[in-house]
Amino acid sequence: MSDLVTWDKTISDVNPGILVGLKNPHPSFYVALSISVVCLIIGAVFWGIEISQGMGVTGLNAPVYWGVLITDFVFWVGIGHAGTLISAILFLFRAKWRNSINRSAEAMTVFAVITAGLFPLIHVGRVWVAAYWMLPLPNTNNLWVNFRSPLMWDVFAISTYLTVSLLFWYMGLLPDLASMRDRVTGFKRILFNFMSFGWTGSLRQWHHYETGYGFLAALATPLVLSVHSIVSWDFAMSMQPGWHTTIFPPYFVAGAILSGCAMVYSLVLPLRWMFHLEGFIRKEHLEALIRLTLLTSTIVAYAYGIEFFIAWYSGNEYEWAIFQKRATGPYAFYFWVMTFCNCIFPLVFWSKKIRNNTTVCFIVCVLVNVGMWFERYNIIVSSLVEDFLPSSWGHYEPSYIEMGITLGSFGWFFTWLLIFCRFFPLVSMSELKLIMPKPLRKKPEGH
Amino acid sequence: MGATHKKGIVASFQYFDDFLDSIKAIKGKPEFRGHEIYSPCSYHELMEFAEEQMGPSQVRWFTLVGALTGVTAGFSMCLLLDYDWPIVVGGKTAGVYSLPAYFIFGFEVMILLGALCTIAGMLIMGRLPNPRSWVLHPRITDDRFVVFVPNALPDGDQARLLQELGAEEVYGV
Repeated sequence: MSDLVTWDKTISDVNPGILVGLKNPHPSFYVALSISVVCLIIGAVFWGIEISQGMGVTGLNAPVYWGVLITDFVFWVGIGHAGTLISAILFLFRAKWRNSINRSAEAMTVFAVITAGLFPLIHVGRVWVAAYWMLPLPNTNNLWVNFRSPLMWDVFAISTYLTVSLLFWYMGLLPDLASMRDRVTGFKRILFNFMSFGWTGSLRQWHHYETGYGFLAALATPLVLSVHSIVSWDFAMSMQPGWHTTIFPPYFVAGAILSGCAMVYSLVLPLRWMFHLEGFIRKEHLEALIRLTLLTSTIVAYAYGIEFFIAWYSGNEYEWAIFQKRATGPYAFYFWVMTFCNCIFPLVFWSKKIRNNTTVCFIVCVLVNVGMWFERYNIIVSSLVEDFLPSSWGHYEPSYIEMGITLGSFGWFFTWLLIFCRFFPLVSMSELKLIMPKPLRKKPEGH
Repeated sequence: MGATHKKGIVASFQYFDDFLDSIKAIKGKPEFRGHEIYSPCSYHELMEFAEEQMGPSQVRWFTLVGALTGVTAGFSMCLLLDYDWPIVVGGKTAGVYSLPAYFIFGFEVMILLGALCTIAGMLIMGRLPNPRSWVLHPRITDDRFVVFVPNALPDGDQARLLQELGAEEVYGV
């Protein structure tokens, strides 16, 4: 894709262009940051209410013990996946266009997984004893955790994913931190030298760095596929109708990548404008991202269809009843929002004209994220409300406490992301130079 | 450069093809012994040259050792703790180890330690952290390609050759 880009800049424009943009963000950046902080404070207040008054205020009760908070957890883990797809999987496939957006996608991954990691803590209520329940520590009876439980698998998967994503992201930053060091003086220079580990750009450093980066990408690729598979097993390993299906791992992974791609687009578009990066994150790169969103949307639509088909074809009446009720029962609104946002609206991306219309793409990508949140809610809640025993059936709707915490999670995510963008380059400068024309004295033939 | 603070000459190149021709030309010459090469990014041709010069990176052994240690540690943790206190789940016989379930831990810890050891390998082999690093040329991390030749003089034969090969600037440090 980047081979088709006609660059009007050279590698000499990269560092000044990107770093100068950091100093003078558009005033809308401060508006966005203020809104994020307000949302974060609202979320913190609602979490405080939950801690002080107990889990009862969330509205979680039999038969629905997993509601909005677990929906948020799955949603945020999913958001992180596109970052690893773009930074690791597309790196292995040598997709050059990823070099302009991989830094923002990786930052999104790190902050999304940190956000996701908060929800199991919020969900257990008594957060101060969460470590005893989540880590392989013996309890007061010297009883170890159950390693056969998918919840325990999840703890290991998410913590490994966060650690590896964080390391991958930081190692990618090293050459750029050295670039920042070389443009400043005084204390800032000492600080950036410390943060860049004294990177000099020697051949020896690049040689081992590139090899290690490749290995990290190779390790992160199966990891990212495993993480959402394991998240899906939180559901699929149970006997609950609507959850106990083998399609869940690939279905969850495809959904995660769809939501992540849509989120990257929703973030990159305004950020590239706020930090004056239009010359580096080109419309061709954005179009490639939209193509990936369209691809994953069709995979998700196929998964929805197959899930329904197998529910009918299996002859399991409980399974089929759940699926019929999802489409026509009390949670039909959530089901149809999910279907339209994830499968129908992205079909407009088949048109090249629309793929290059950033306003329409932005709106559809935001709708995809709404749809993906509804998908997780639909899967979790509609299965829990009705299991095999009609006597235990119930109904659940989100409480204002849960929605306040959800709003706070967006505030938390955007606050960290915007702070990062304000101080560090949103585009990987050393990697962007690789997809721009090389500075050659002898111009290559055909140019 | 680096932590060495050696004396010598610095030749900077604006054009990558001149730079690549130069480093190939000076390769193996006794008067350029110990020279160091710097680049703002990792062009493919440069990485091929590095592989020829230094051989395959040893970082791969760090990754392998980390991954093997991880998979062993992951399985061992589950098996040993299960041995320490067998949990009866679903009425199944205590002491029957659930290897398929433990595969998750083996896999995740393999990735975790593999990644941590890869990072350690990148840093150790790249001689990082190097807090006393000395920036030879202010635009090495920007857009200039640099060759440093130790124990050479700005008016010496090495400097003349580098200038003939296209260096835009040669100076002593």
